[in-house]
Amino acid sequence: MTGRTEPSTSEGSAPTGGGRVSRRNFLKTSAAAGAAAAVGGSAISTNPDIVAAQEQTDREIVHGNCWISRASCGQAITVEDGRAIDLTGVDGHPKASGGQGREGTLCSKGVAQLDKTYNPNRIRQPYIRKDGELQSASWEEAIEFAAERLEQFREEHGAEKMLRYQGYPLTDTHDKLFQRIYGAAIQVGRKTTCHGPFSDSWGWMGGYGREWPDWQNSEYIIAWGRNPMECFRGQWEPNGILDARKNNDATLVTIDPRYTKTAQKSDRWLPIEPRTDGALALAMGHVIIEEGLYDEEFVENWTYGFEAYRENVEDKTPEWAEEITDIDAEEIREVAIGFARAAPRAIAFPWTGIAYQGNGFKNAQAIHALNGLVGCIDHEGGTRHYRGPSLSDPHAERGIELPDAHEDADLPDYDDYPYQRHIRNYSHNYVPTMVEKGDIKGYVSNWSLPPKSGNTQEWLRALDEMELVIVVDAFWNAVSKRADVVFPDSSQIEQPFLGSGGDSCYPTRTWVTASNAAIDPLWDTKPAFDIYKELAEEMGYGEYFPWDSEEEYLDEKLDAVDMSFDELAEQSYALVDEYGYQQYREDGFNTETGLFQFDLAPNESYAALADELGVSTAPEWQPVDDDIYGETTDDEYPLLFTDVFVEQISRGHCQALPESVEEYLDRYGRAYDDYEGNYLHINPRDARPRNIQTGDMVRVESRDDAIELPAHVYEGVRPGWIATVNGFGEGSVHPEEAGANTMTLNREHHVEPVSGQVDRNHPVEVTKAGGDGA
Amino acid sequence: MSRQWAFYFDTQKCIGCHACVVSCRVRNDVGTKEAKWRRMEHVGEGSFPDYKETSVSMSCFHCATAPCRQVCPTHAIEKRERDGIVTVDQDKCIGCHYCAYACPFGACQYGDDGLLQKCHLCLGEGAGDGHGKPARQKPEDGGATAACVDNCVTEALKAGPINEILREASEEAANRYSESDVGPALVVEPVTQESHDSIETTDPTG
Ligand code: SF4
Ligand code: SF4
Ligand code: SF4
Ligand code: SF4
Repeated sequence: MTGRTEPSTSEGSAPTGGGRVSRRNFLKTSAAAGAAAAVGGSAISTNPDIVAAQEQTDREIVHGNCWISRASCGQAITVEDGRAIDLTGVDGHPKASGGQGREGTLCSKGVAQLDKTYNPNRIRQPYIRKDGELQSASWEEAIEFAAERLEQFREEHGAEKMLRYQGYPLTDTHDKLFQRIYGAAIQVGRKTTCHGPFSDSWGWMGGYGREWPDWQNSEYIIAWGRNPMECFRGQWEPNGILDARKNNDATLVTIDPRYTKTAQKSDRWLPIEPRTDGALALAMGHVIIEEGLYDEEFVENWTYGFEAYRENVEDKTPEWAEEITDIDAEEIREVAIGFARAAPRAIAFPWTGIAYQGNGFKNAQAIHALNGLVGCIDHEGGTRHYRGPSLSDPHAERGIELPDAHEDADLPDYDDYPYQRHIRNYSHNYVPTMVEKGDIKGYVSNWSLPPKSGNTQEWLRALDEMELVIVVDAFWNAVSKRADVVFPDSSQIEQPFLGSGGDSCYPTRTWVTASNAAIDPLWDTKPAFDIYKELAEEMGYGEYFPWDSEEEYLDEKLDAVDMSFDELAEQSYALVDEYGYQQYREDGFNTETGLFQFDLAPNESYAALADELGVSTAPEWQPVDDDIYGETTDDEYPLLFTDVFVEQISRGHCQALPESVEEYLDRYGRAYDDYEGNYLHINPRDARPRNIQTGDMVRVESRDDAIELPAHVYEGVRPGWIATVNGFGEGSVHPEEAGANTMTLNREHHVEPVSGQVDRNHPVEVTKAGGDGA
Repeated sequence: MSRQWAFYFDTQKCIGCHACVVSCRVRNDVGTKEAKWRRMEHVGEGSFPDYKETSVSMSCFHCATAPCRQVCPTHAIEKRERDGIVTVDQDKCIGCHYCAYACPFGACQYGDDGLLQKCHLCLGEGAGDGHGKPARQKPEDGGATAACVDNCVTEALKAGPINEILREASEEAANRYSESDVGPALVVEPVTQESHDSIETTDPTG
C-alpha cells in the first residue's frame, strides 16, 4: 500500500501537537484517569484548598520498574487517589542503587517517567486503517481487524514474509505469538543497529553473549567509546565506578573524541582520532607483551591464537600508533602499563562508540584482546560474565506446547552481502531491499522506531510499501503513523512487570525484580500482555493463553525461584542464586576451541569472510578505506559526523518527554531557546572558518544527503569531528519532529562488513544555513 | 547557627545527570517551561584537548543574610528563625523582581502569576513559597526528604542542619563555609583549589 496518510487530527486522541502541555496542567484539568477530556490550555488551579486537600489525602508507596532505558531500575512510586505523583528508586535495588544499604535513585530519565505516563500526546485508543486513513476504533474492532488482516496476510504471502522488528516489549508474549504461533520467522534485532561489532566479536572470542564490567571491584577502568557516567544501565554503574575510585583508588581512563561526563571524572581523557581505536589497542598489546606484563598463566592455559596476536602486534609500537591515533606515544605506554599492572582487576570496555564504526568489528576485537592478554576475563574487578536466574516457562508449566511455526520457513539467502552469512537474521539497513524484492511484506513491532536507526529514507518508503504494519506503541512516530493497526500500550507503571538479571551491583548474585501496576491504564490503553492475549484469542489461539491475567502468567514464571509474583512485587526485588568468578575454569569458554580466542580462525564462517576480505583472523588494524571499512573524509567532506548519547535522552521515547528534552537542552545551556531538537556540537576551530556561532542553523551535508540543525560551538569535541544526539527529527516521537534525524545521511551500504551493523560515521561538510536558527 | 539548614554539594561526585532538577519538578509539580527552582550548570574551561567541565547543581541556598530579603519592598521574603529556610509569602509578593536582581544565584523565579517562587527545601509540595510551614528539625521532619537529594544518583547533593552537614564535609569545605557563614547555606567540596573560584553562575532567564 502506498500513500498512507497520517492519523486524522480531528480525533480526540490524535496527536495534539501539545508538547507544551505539562503534566501539571494535565493532572489538574483532567477530571479522572480515562477521561478523554481536552487537556491543553486550561487554567492551572492554584486554589489553596486543593493544595491543602492534597496534603491531607492518604498516600501509598508502591513499586514499579523503570523501562525508559530498559534497565528495570526499581521504582518507589507515590500514588495518591489513583494518580502517581512522585517517584524515586528502591533502596538496595540491584539496578537502582549501589548495593545493600544504599539508597535507591532514578536518573533524570527515570524521574521523567510520569511525564511519559501522563503525556497528553500519548496514543490513547486503538486505530485501524480504513480507506487509506488511520481511524480511531474500539478495542473489539481493532483486535478483529488485526486478526483478520494477519490471517489474510498469511494466506496470500506466508507468515515468513512478516518481519518482527525487535523492540522493547514489556512481555515475552509478543515473540511467542508472532514467531512461534503465527510463524513470522524474520527478526531484525539490535545487533545490527546498536552493538553488533562489539558483541559479535566478544561472542566469538569469549563465547559469552556479552560481557559487562564488575565496576565496583576494579582498579583500572578504560571506558572505551562508552560514557558510563551518563549512559548507564541502572544507577549501579556510575555508583560502581565512583566506589572503585574511592575505595580502590581506581584509575579511570576515557577514550572518546568527545569530552563526556565520564571524561570529567577520569584521570585521563584520550581524545582519540575517531575510528583508530584498533591501532591504539594493538599498541597497548605491544607494550604489555614487550614489558612482560601479560598474564602468562591465563594465556597459556585458557587462550587460543596468542602467537598470531603476538605476531600482529610485534611492530605496532606506541610511536606507530601515535601517528594514527593522535595520542602521545608516552601516554599510550603509561596507560598500557597501568592497565596491565592493575590486572586482573582491570577492564577495557568498549561500547557503541566502537560499534558504530565501519571498522568496528576489528577495533572491538583488538580491545577485547587486551582483556584476554591481562587475564581479567570474568574476574573480580574485570569483565564479568553476569548470569540471570532461570525462570519457569509458564507454557511448559501448564503443559502447553507452543508450536514452532517459524522453524521451517523458507528464508532467502543474500550471500552477496558478506555479513548475511553469519548474522542470525538480516541487517537493519537491508530490510528496504528485502521489501523491494518481495521477501518482506509485513511488519510487527512493539515500541520500536527503525527509521531513526539507519537508512531512513528507504525505510520510510519500505514501511509505505508493506501490506500490513501492526504496532504496539504509546506515541505517534514514523512507524505508528504508517501502521494499519495501532494498539496503544500502557506505560510501565500501568502494567505488571517482571525482570531478572544479570549485570548489577551484586556481581555474584542473580536477582529478580517485579512490580504490580501502580495505577490503572490511562485512557483506552492496555498492557501489552492483554493485547497479545486478546489478539491470540481472536485468531483462534486462545488455548495458548489460558491465564486470566498477566500477574498469573508472571506468577508461574517465578515458580523456579519459589516466589509468588505478589510477594516479589511487594518487596520489589530479591537476590537469588550465588555464582562465582572465573566460571570458565569449570565450564571452559563456549567457543570452538573451548578457549578464549585471540585468533578467530576456528570460527569457519568468519575465517571464510576474512579470507575473502584479505584480512587476518587475529586482531589487527583495518583503517577506513572508502570501500568496506567506512568512508574517509576529504577536501569536499572534511568533517566526520556521528551521533552520541547523553544522560537525559534515551534513544526510545525521551524525545516525547518535555522534561527530558528540556534537561538535555539545558545541559548545553540552551533550555531557553525556542527550539526543542538536537544541537550539532562543533569545535570552535571548525566553526570559526565557517563563520558559525552557537545557535546558528547549519546544514550538514554528506555525499548522500543533508540535514539541518542549530550549532553548539564548544571545546569539548575534537576538531574535525562533529556530533549530535540521535532520535530527533523526521519520524521521531517528538510531537513536532523537532531537530534532525541523523540517519537521513545513512544508506544501505553504510554497514560494518562483519556484523551488518549500521555504520553511523559520515564524512560531511557543514555550512551556515543562514539566520538565527535557534 | 545550628538551626540553619544547608545544602551540601560535591562536584567530584556529581555526574551532571540532572536527576535532581527533574525530581524537583516532579515532586513540586512544576511543569517544563515554567519556573525552575533547581538547575544544573556545566561550566567549561580551557580549549581542546585541555578542556575541563565542572557540574554544579544550583538552587536557592537559603543565605544567612539573604540579599533577596533585604531588597524586598513588601517583606514578602522571610528568613525563618526556626530552620534558616528562606520562604516567600506569596500574598505579600507584588512581583517586582527586585529579589531576582539581588540574588547572585539566579534562584528567584516567577510563576505565570508573576509571583516569586523558588526552592523551599521541600517544605511540602507545590506553590514554591513554603510560607507558614512547620520547622524542619531533622532531615525527616517537615515532610519528605528533599526530592533533589532523594534522587541524586551519586549522593553528590545532600541537605540537612548545618552542623550535621559540616560534620560530614571535608575540613577544607567546612573551613571555607565557616569563613563566609553570612553567605549561601551551601557547603561545597572543592574541585581543585584553582578552578573552584572560577565557577560562574548564569542568569537562567538571560
Ligand atoms: S537507568 Fe534511568 S532510564 Fe534507565 S531504567 Fe534506570 S532509571 Fe530508567
Ligand atoms: S540564594 Fe538567592 S533567593 Fe536564595 S536566599 Fe540567597 S539571595 Fe535569596
Ligand atoms: S529542596 Fe526541594 S524545592 Fe529545593 S531544589 Fe530540592 S527538590 Fe526543589
Ligand atoms: S542528581 Fe546528583 S549527580 Fe545528578 S546532576 Fe544532580 S547533583 Fe549531580
